[in-house]
Amino acid sequence: MATKLISRPINWNKIEDPVDLDVWNRLTQNFWLPEKVPLSNDIQSWETLREHERKLTMHVFTGLTMLDTIQGTVGAVSLIPDARTQHEEAVMTNIAFMESVHAKSYSSVFSTLCLTADIDEAFRWSEDNPNLQKKAEIILGYYHGDDPLKRKVASTLLESFLFYSGFYLPMYWSSRAKLTNTADLIRLIIRDEAIHGYYIGYKFQQAYNEQPAAVQDELKQYTYDLLLELYENEIKYTADLYDEIGLTADVKKFLHYNANKALMNLGFDPLFPKDECDVNPAILAALSPNADENHDFFSGSGSSYVIGKHESTTDDDWDF
Amino acid sequence: MGTQVEVLDENGVATGTTAIESALSYHELNAMINLWDENGKMQLDKDKLAARKYFLDHVNQNTVFFHSLQERLDYLVENEYYEKSVLDKYRFEFIEQLEKLAYSKKFRFEAFMGAYKFYTGYALKTFDGTRYLERFEDRVVMVALALAEGNEQIATSLVEEIISGRFQPATPTFLNCGKKQRGEFVSCFLLRIEDNMESISRGINSALQLSKRGGGVALSLSNIREYGAPIKKIEGQSSGIIPVMKLLEDSFSYANQLGARQGAGAVYLNAHHPDIMRFLDTKRENADEKIRIKTLSIGVVIPDITMHLAKAGEDMYLFSPYDVEKVYGIPFGDISVTEKYQEMVDDPRIRKQKIKARTLFERIAELQFESGYPYIMYEDTVNNANPVQGRINMSNLCSEILQVNTPTTYNEDLSYNEIGKDISCNLGSLNIAMVMDGPDFGQTIETSIRALTAVSDQSDIQSVRSISDGNHKSHAIGLGQMNLHGYLAREKMHYGSPEALDFTNMYFYTVVYHAIKASNKLAIERNSKFHNFENSKYASGEFFDKYTDQAWVPETSKVKELFAGSNIAIPTQDDWRELKASVMKHGIYNQNLQAVPPTGSISYINNSTSSIHPIASRIEIRKEGKLGRVYYPAPFLSEETWEYYDDAYEVGPEKIIDTYAVATQHVDQGLSLTLFFKDTDTTRDVNRAQIYAWRKGIKTIYYIRIRQQALTGTEVDSCVSCML
Repeated sequence: MATKLISRPINWNKIEDPVDLDVWNRLTQNFWLPEKVPLSNDIQSWETLREHERKLTMHVFTGLTMLDTIQGTVGAVSLIPDARTQHEEAVMTNIAFMESVHAKSYSSVFSTLCLTADIDEAFRWSEDNPNLQKKAEIILGYYHGDDPLKRKVASTLLESFLFYSGFYLPMYWSSRAKLTNTADLIRLIIRDEAIHGYYIGYKFQQAYNEQPAAVQDELKQYTYDLLLELYENEIKYTADLYDEIGLTADVKKFLHYNANKALMNLGFDPLFPKDECDVNPAILAALSPNADENHDFFSGSGSSYVIGKHESTTDDDWDF
Repeated sequence: MGTQVEVLDENGVATGTTAIESALSYHELNAMINLWDENGKMQLDKDKLAARKYFLDHVNQNTVFFHSLQERLDYLVENEYYEKSVLDKYRFEFIEQLEKLAYSKKFRFEAFMGAYKFYTGYALKTFDGTRYLERFEDRVVMVALALAEGNEQIATSLVEEIISGRFQPATPTFLNCGKKQRGEFVSCFLLRIEDNMESISRGINSALQLSKRGGGVALSLSNIREYGAPIKKIEGQSSGIIPVMKLLEDSFSYANQLGARQGAGAVYLNAHHPDIMRFLDTKRENADEKIRIKTLSIGVVIPDITMHLAKAGEDMYLFSPYDVEKVYGIPFGDISVTEKYQEMVDDPRIRKQKIKARTLFERIAELQFESGYPYIMYEDTVNNANPVQGRINMSNLCSEILQVNTPTTYNEDLSYNEIGKDISCNLGSLNIAMVMDGPDFGQTIETSIRALTAVSDQSDIQSVRSISDGNHKSHAIGLGQMNLHGYLAREKMHYGSPEALDFTNMYFYTVVYHAIKASNKLAIERNSKFHNFENSKYASGEFFDKYTDQAWVPETSKVKELFAGSNIAIPTQDDWRELKASVMKHGIYNQNLQAVPPTGSISYINNSTSSIHPIASRIEIRKEGKLGRVYYPAPFLSEETWEYYDDAYEVGPEKIIDTYAVATQHVDQGLSLTLFFKDTDTTRDVNRAQIYAWRKGIKTIYYIRIRQQALTGTEVDSCVSCML
């Protein structure tokens, strides 16, 4: 490079895009660690699951761990150089870090509920499962590619679509009063992923709108193609996991619903018609990212608390 | 798919369920109330369908059938499900008559949540847990029989009161009465811990014993010497209160009630204890595992002096409990810090540290954002309002129990030297709307007081002598209230409006009169009063001054009409004078009468809004270990009442505090007061609310709850609870 590179310190007092600040505030406020959730309260419940249900749960979670690992170490990081603002870079580092927290939190679930031999088996499974490996391969391909917009599409599809075949299961358990604390933890993850998908999609739309029509058309076509490619693989993955407990059909609807949601985040029209997206209401209602759940002493911390904003009292406040 | 299948409800009316809906499970139907339909309307009818489907698909198919009541009772007694001695006190014909009475009331669960909660949590099940042996009516009859102890008239009144939804005993009572394999009837225990190893280990032992029996346990740590205090005169030895908290937390999670749920506990600490900041930091999100406290609840006892020091922007001194006890000869927790503050500051024998008073409040608010804790007890407010001799230095797991206690001392072999007085309290709540609709206000309260007293009489916790001794002396009970917001909405009043405050004031005013009257009646009947009645403000008559010196009448015509319309006489000054004379002569049987708990589970069964709070949400999402996620619509919710159901976050802290303040003046113990904030609020807003609460004479603050709205663009489509 001929021009001299000037380093510029980030100035949070000069915000180019208010969404950066909004999302930064929300993400930092939402900060959490898996230690917050009393997972050990689920041990009894775990014991009530049948052998194949436990195995399924572990496989689902290793699958999720895989996605979070990719997103934390490759995905979010690969988006940093494409950032439009310095604040976006900062947000992306937060996203990357939280993805690693997510990946680690599945391990917390494992170590609390399962034996080492079972954990090792589940991780082996994740390495051997062709559909899961393919999923990783497709996404990684784009992360390593050189088109920043395509990277964002891949990333949004991962955040808003691919996670959900896995998220289905803990939501399903919790609607049946099983593993409810684990579900709390997953809901914290969903809370984060919802924002990640939204944000990356938003950044995509900004760049997309600046492109000439031909490029836009190509990107749009690419998005639907990629979605369908991932979808086909995801259907196999889902069947592989959920056939045994007979939930495949239901999970598929959930996938349709979230695929549409991912497209919405990217600013595109939904692909699946409404009647193929009528998700089981118990699952849909359980998804609500709002932290308005009520719980008792005996049922853990819920997803309701946030890091508060500090503000000192003044003399007027103490005027009595 | 589209074929209509005619489904009839209990009254034979078609509910118009389609085939698609009957294909949904009750869980799914229930979840639909949290989602808008295609036209953007609420689907409240889906919840009724869910409740119905729950009975058809689950309850009816899993209930053991008996040919007759005789066969049923014989079977349950023979197989050790029911307690024979409870039934033996009655003629069989009477029990049969009582069952008939209960079933004649045609009780129906209004919400899926109520039915689901009852059958998962309360109904008697076969030992393998697969089939039900009771319906709601049977449970009510068994509770009435157990509490009436052979008195047919009281048993009948109790069935009337409970099945009509006016009186609802607390969970441990309602769950356990009449069962052979059961936990205790009492909800709540409060224990002191003194500054010695015997007392600490006894405290842990008692926590285990009481959790095993199904109660929440609170312990006061204020007396324990601080981190770095001397042991046997050697400096820097004590590790303070945090390790004690750890031990307690582990004890509670070990002792679960027959696997039903984990034990739950709380610890209280005086704000002027030197470990106060460490105590608060245990709830930090990023605290080290060794000191982090996850499931133990914490509460801070704040004397008035702390408020004044914060007002002045000054430092506050923290005093070594070890030194204070040496100097004054009584434990730190039994000292009024407000009264002795300057004296202790000036006393060189007492080691002290200082922190900024406002920093303490800011730290408290920060942690409340992160964890909802600590609870707060305003110590001087509580003690000034206490009609009984002695000092109150702690509260309980729900911060509504406020009673005096005394220390226990031990011999070297760990046996008791002198057994002090610890606290237990059994609770039950009235459904305000149903009581206002009821035929006889005074009778409802008398029956409730009798039921709660029976629980106290029947309780004898041998494993913790300070508790059983305390109970025998005090016969303390806590009559609570719930469904205030439900009633207000039904009568078209906004929570916290002048009319609503007027109603709350007059309602609690009328309750306290009848509660004392009932306890006085018990004292006369039994010729017995609570221990140390002579030194109470009831005996001196001082308690009654505020009722005899001024007239309490409704200020608004609306409230006047509500009471008149319900045929409820508001006690006059003369009524109070008469009652005062009778109390001064005969005493009252119960040392404490009222306490308003947060009412979780029982308000669902009873189809009420919780306690006297505003609702948390029109459609509440409830998660519990045994239930999973269930959706609960506010009672009486309809297009018409919608606008009167502002949720607690919209109502805001001031109106909640105002409501509690008017109620507090008529309640001898406390009221669980949760404050609700939006995530856009800051620690300063929380502090302001705490200051306002203190000024208004609030005794305790329970949880702080924060609601976070989903970021625009990330909501779930058509989700009702996402709506503001």
